[in-house]
Amino acid sequence: MINSILRYLRLYGALARYSLTREMAFRGNFLVKITVEILWLGILLAFYATIFSKTSVVASWSQYQYLFFIGCYFTLEGILETLFLENCHQFSELVRSGDLDLYLLKPIDEQFLFSCRHVDWSTVPNIFMGCGLMGVALYCMNWQFDLLQVSLFVVALGCGVLMAYSFLFMLTSVSVWLTRNQSLHELWWLLTTLMRYPRDIFNGAWAPMGWFFSFVIPVMLVINVPARVMVKIIEPEMIAWAAVSTIALVSLSRLFFSFALRRYRSASS
Amino acid sequence: MLVREETDPWGLAVWPRIARKYFNIYRTSLMERVTYRGDFFLRSILRFLPLITTILLWRAVYAGSGKTTLSGFAYNEMIAYLLLVHVSRMFSSMPGLATNIARTIREGELKKYLLQPVDMIGFLLSYRIAHKSAYIVTVSLPYGLLFFVCRGYFPGWPDPTTMVAYVLALILGFFIGFFFECSMGMVGFWMLEVSSLLYIVNTMNFFLSGHMFPLDLLPGFWVAVLKALPFHYMAYFPAAIFLGKVNPDDLPRALAIEFLWVIIFVVMARCLFRFGVKRYSAYGG
Repeated sequence: MINSILRYLRLYGALARYSLTREMAFRGNFLVKITVEILWLGILLAFYATIFSKTSVVASWSQYQYLFFIGCYFTLEGILETLFLENCHQFSELVRSGDLDLYLLKPIDEQFLFSCRHVDWSTVPNIFMGCGLMGVALYCMNWQFDLLQVSLFVVALGCGVLMAYSFLFMLTSVSVWLTRNQSLHELWWLLTTLMRYPRDIFNGAWAPMGWFFSFVIPVMLVINVPARVMVKIIEPEMIAWAAVSTIALVSLSRLFFSFALRRYRSASS
Repeated sequence: MLVREETDPWGLAVWPRIARKYFNIYRTSLMERVTYRGDFFLRSILRFLPLITTILLWRAVYAGSGKTTLSGFAYNEMIAYLLLVHVSRMFSSMPGLATNIARTIREGELKKYLLQPVDMIGFLLSYRIAHKSAYIVTVSLPYGLLFFVCRGYFPGWPDPTTMVAYVLALILGFFIGFFFECSMGMVGFWMLEVSSLLYIVNTMNFFLSGHMFPLDLLPGFWVAVLKALPFHYMAYFPAAIFLGKVNPDDLPRALAIEFLWVIIFVVMARCLFRFGVKRYSAYGG
């Protein structure tokens, strides 16, 4: 068991080093990608500033609490883009072209191979930018350090990453049926819409939708739980629910992936 | 040649042939579009999510501010605007157009256009109109339903003049979107890799076109700058016309300026293509 874990860790280290070497071969591209991300953050902040120039509170989230929320989202999205998004995007092309066959023959776990083959180093700065925003927000709120709060935040964010990964991976697996899943980036972007906003905006007649996406398909927990722990209140029951959902979703995504692989028709190979 | 000039001095006989050629491109593209239905439908359904969350976000903003209008937009108008922007984008967005042109150039496929009696921009325009009509027909049902459900947010149908101006603005918006993206793709003649550049431009466009919120919400100086740029024709402008935010007396002038932008982009795309082909080395393929 330990041997096998070590073997995968070594393999992952090698893959990450290889990705970095490749990325560094195209330094210009690397710089452009970072520019895009800074621009995107700028747009998000301009939107945020426009909103808060008109109001001081959005669904019980004050200006700096909301800024923390955005930072948290940016960090999580950065982690996902760095580790998984590009891999998942390539998967659909492998299905369409039939090149998947070659990978299925390799003596390692398929889920590991398809979701961790490549590390996208160009999105690592996003993680730092997100953390920077969270830092600024906490500073502006005069936040006092609290070890329990920070530890719970780290756990909740970890759960958020794993949940988001599971959703992404299930969406990827669907390409086995769709054959052409050119738009995975777009589909993923559309799905993350449910993560990007505080759950509190789903009130009144829309409350059932907020409830549905928190307790049936728990997409909304991904950012809401960690952000609330840090800048609002600690809700032990929500953290516990996030942990349970994480375990369930990771298992479900694995089952769904192997189910999808069994339906793979190996066309045009 | 001499014979043709005698019997058909204006060369009129070739026009039906040309029309048939581009119509056939249209028909084939339409068939391709409906081949991968699963992808298409999944995407169309998920497209409603951002709409819902944006509506809810603005509801929370209006509730938080305690005001009934923000920069001249009442809450209902804001939601109507955000819905109408989707219609604008339905016409003006050109997913994949520039990327495909750049790839055609990079991989040397361009020579097929240079050898065959078909103009690349004309081909792509027919192809795009096919995709757009398939898309608009497919989503008109769900969108019609959505607009019907949300009809309470709208102030009612605008008068016929405004409606005509609105439709004109949408069609001109399509051409601006098309020739702008075309020009971006032509940059591929000079740069091997344009995807990053496109990404930057699209990201900027999302904001500058007024897709995120009405440009009027920004500070005065920025409103003037963004309204002088052509980007707002791809989202903001048609929606603003529909909601009566453009003074009726200014409409002819505003549409004329939009038309001017179309011409500028047509000329730009044509020039870039001509200069590009001169330095094209038919590498690869």
